[in-house]
Amino acid sequence: MNAPEDIQVKEPGYDVSRRRFFQLAGGVAGAGIFLASCKGSKPTDTYIGTEDFALLNFLYILQQLEAAFYTQAVATPELSITKDELLLLTDVRDQEIAHAGFLKTLLGRSAIPAIAPNFSSVTFVDRTSVYTFAAMLEDLSVSGIISACTYFENQAYALEFAKMATVEARHSAYFRDSLTYNSFADGTVIDSNGLDMVATSPRTVLATAENYIFTHFDSSKLPG
Amino acid sequence: MNFKNILQQIEKADPEVYERLSGRRQILKSFGSKVAVAALPLAIGSMFKKAYGRTTDVVVDALNFALELEYLEFAFYHTANNTGNLIPAADQPGFLTIEAHEQAHVNFLTTTITAMGGTPFVPKHFTDSTTRGSFVPAAYDFTGGGAYNNVFNDYPTFLILAEVFEDTGVRAYGGQMSVFSGNALLVQAQQIATVEARHAAHVRLIRRNAGASELPAPWITNNIPPTTATQANYLGEDVTTQGVGAISIDITTITDGTGTVPKSAATAAFDEPLDSGTVTTLVSPFLKP
Repeated sequence: MNAPEDIQVKEPGYDVSRRRFFQLAGGVAGAGIFLASCKGSKPTDTYIGTEDFALLNFLYILQQLEAAFYTQAVATPELSITKDELLLLTDVRDQEIAHAGFLKTLLGRSAIPAIAPNFSSVTFVDRTSVYTFAAMLEDLSVSGIISACTYFENQAYALEFAKMATVEARHSAYFRDSLTYNSFADGTVIDSNGLDMVATSPRTVLATAENYIFTHFDSSKLPG
Repeated sequence: MNFKNILQQIEKADPEVYERLSGRRQILKSFGSKVAVAALPLAIGSMFKKAYGRTTDVVVDALNFALELEYLEFAFYHTANNTGNLIPAADQPGFLTIEAHEQAHVNFLTTTITAMGGTPFVPKHFTDSTTRGSFVPAAYDFTGGGAYNNVFNDYPTFLILAEVFEDTGVRAYGGQMSVFSGNALLVQAQQIATVEARHAAHVRLIRRNAGASELPAPWITNNIPPTTATQANYLGEDVTTQGVGAISIDITTITDGTGTVPKSAATAAFDEPLDSGTVTTLVSPFLKP
């Protein structure tokens, strides 16, 4: 009897649907179309990677954006802020710095550089402007974390980031209540099943975040 | 073994197999190292088991565990909202919102469990099967066996229990996430957990603004409970190390421009899960036998 053969199956490095396409399209034609699909990104774009690292960098972008926003909001507080509100705002800033630093650690050498945020749409001296933007960023972060979780190859990431998603929701509730008391979980963010409204794809969330970031990203390999 | 042929055969049986597999990119990743040919059938079996999620029973059990908590919260808020002179007018809309969410969660989980072929939990002393999903006050003792006799007479006491139920609910969902991992329910479980977190934040803000002695933030700081009697619900929240796999970091070593992240923020930034056994113990004083 022959000994069982060992086989080595290499990781394809791209998802199955594209692999099937190559089988059907044939080598040369497949390669041509593959090159054409890269046309959208420029060499100067910040490449966020593939698969789990792309998702981690995606979340890192969101947390950096939040950290940068609250750093500015604390440094130049809105004119009617109370001492207690400034305490809580500083706490939120530090939590987002913690989130961003954590993601940077997980990414190691795959971490993208610091993003250049664009807060030109925010009037930092104005309470409504600051708290509205804060609530929007927090809701976006909840959406981003939850939408990313199904795509993680390593589901241990999803379990860990679930711990952050609920904290972002707490932040959102606080800022919403500060703007309009009792709006912490209103119909603009909770659906008829009592579920937090979230985007289904990281791409959608990133597109929204990019409105507030000068840095251009090559997110062509971002799952979802 | 003709692997390509196997995939083609499976595709005939399930045209969506590639989406199911490539959605988490499990296919062939499991075979990244050398695999003996004899072991391939087992490996393929586990690959597809992962793609199709855990066995239904385990998932239904987790959903039913969540459903137990939602029934409790719904009964708690429904009682409070229908108790005269308890909740100040300014706070009434918020607690009506919370009650509506808890009822929606009861209905959503019940429907989901039924659709999966499971039997949805119903509270004890539930007498009318045609009103599944409704208010079952007979199942609960919200005085916690006498520890909180004033729960529906004294607003601060009510708020303490509301905060504890919501914070514990967040941690309980966190503790179930591993069961939903790899399943579409992972998203929905998180969509419920974040709503409970919003509830918790709102109640905490009320208590802070009312001058509660420990001055709670909308988030859990260190492991500080609303009262010493509820410390057990907050154990484990004061961890400062976070990690995934081999990579971990003490969050208090992260720099924030002027210094490092303080322990208060490092602990607040992550809601730590509780396993179902612990949650059951914490909730049991409020369940009538």
